[in-house]
Amino acid sequence: SEMSFEWPWQYNFPPFFTLQPNVDTRQKQLAAWCSLVLSYCRHRKLYTLDVMEAQESPVFNNKKISRKLSVEAIQVVFEELRKKGNLEWMDKNKTRCLIMWRRPEEWGKLIYQWVSRNGMNNSVFTLYELSNGDDTESEEFHGLEEWMLLRSLQALQAEGKAEIITMDDGKGVKFF
Amino acid sequence: MGNVFGRKRRTRVTEQDKAVLQLKQQRDKLKQYQKKITLQLEKERLLARQLLKDGKKEKALLLLKKKRYQEQLLEKTENQIGNLERMVQDIEFAQIEMKVIEGLKIGNDCLKKMHEVMSIEEVERIMDETQDAIEYQREIDDMLAGSLTQEDEDAVLAELDAITQGEDVSLPDVPKEELPEVPAEELERKRVKTQSEMLVA
Repeated sequence: SEMSFEWPWQYNFPPFFTLQPNVDTRQKQLAAWCSLVLSYCRHRKLYTLDVMEAQESPVFNNKKISRKLSVEAIQVVFEELRKKGNLEWMDKNKTRCLIMWRRPEEWGKLIYQWVSRNGMNNSVFTLYELSNGDDTESEEFHGLEEWMLLRSLQALQAEGKAEIITMDDGKGVKFF
Repeated sequence: MGNVFGRKRRTRVTEQDKAVLQLKQQRDKLKQYQKKITLQLEKERLLARQLLKDGKKEKALLLLKKKRYQEQLLEKTENQIGNLERMVQDIEFAQIEMKVIEGLKIGNDCLKKMHEVMSIEEVERIMDETQDAIEYQREIDDMLAGSLTQEDEDAVLAELDAITQGEDVSLPDVPKEELPEVPAEELERKRVKTQSEMLVA
């Protein structure tokens, strides 16, 4: 599936892999990096990133032109993503992060659309059923990691469209 | 988190929902178990083939026995999942039935209340009152019409007659030839007679 990913033109432009000193240029460069990281993670369905591992990932390491983004530069890109609300650090040392190429509200909307389309309002589901069940296999949220799923459902709960149920043995949700 | 201010939001999750969820959780576990066994079976099939290739027939046979046992487990699991799913559907349908009955009950109560307002006695009373009102109105009409005495009524009728007579009297034509001389004495007599006739009328 890596083959079908369409790299932006900047990816084959060597200066792209060095943070630019000019403020305007740098801003555009960071915006392009953010968009590249998000679309790559979306393509690969990645929900967590490790900074050290990321450095070796093709997204930050273009072997064809022998360029890779430094760890410091990756941190800058990640910080930019955090400011935009697409990333959250998992530890104080900022070595691992959650990456949200779709915000919880957007996921919530997709899930709720599926529920309404299938006339399943007023029904209860286990979280496993939503992310791993046979009925959701063709849905985009199939395989969604549990933390992300939970956040999406919390977003729906805030809108009054769902209620999260906590049982001794894991969580469930009721849609309205 | 809604509990921070001690104001617990009313939950819309029923006991039945929780029961369904519990069943679904059991089903999830069985499905995960099913996945695990399926993978194991695949592995063991490959291993048995390898053992046969290596000439270890005894070991391969033992493995196949184990595999057969696991296949039976898988089948049982499939049945259990089916049972759980049927149970879930039954509960969901029973909930719908309950809602229908609730709806019917509300409709029934509503009809009852409306019938209380429209009791037979009440309707009779209203009809009686209406009849009374009609009679009362007729009395008023009569009283208004009866405000003239019998004497007045007679006078009105006489006046009506007089009007009718004055109008509808046709007279004979006046003769064209000269009238013959009539003796004055006879003329006088006739005039008196006419006057007495008129008095009679």
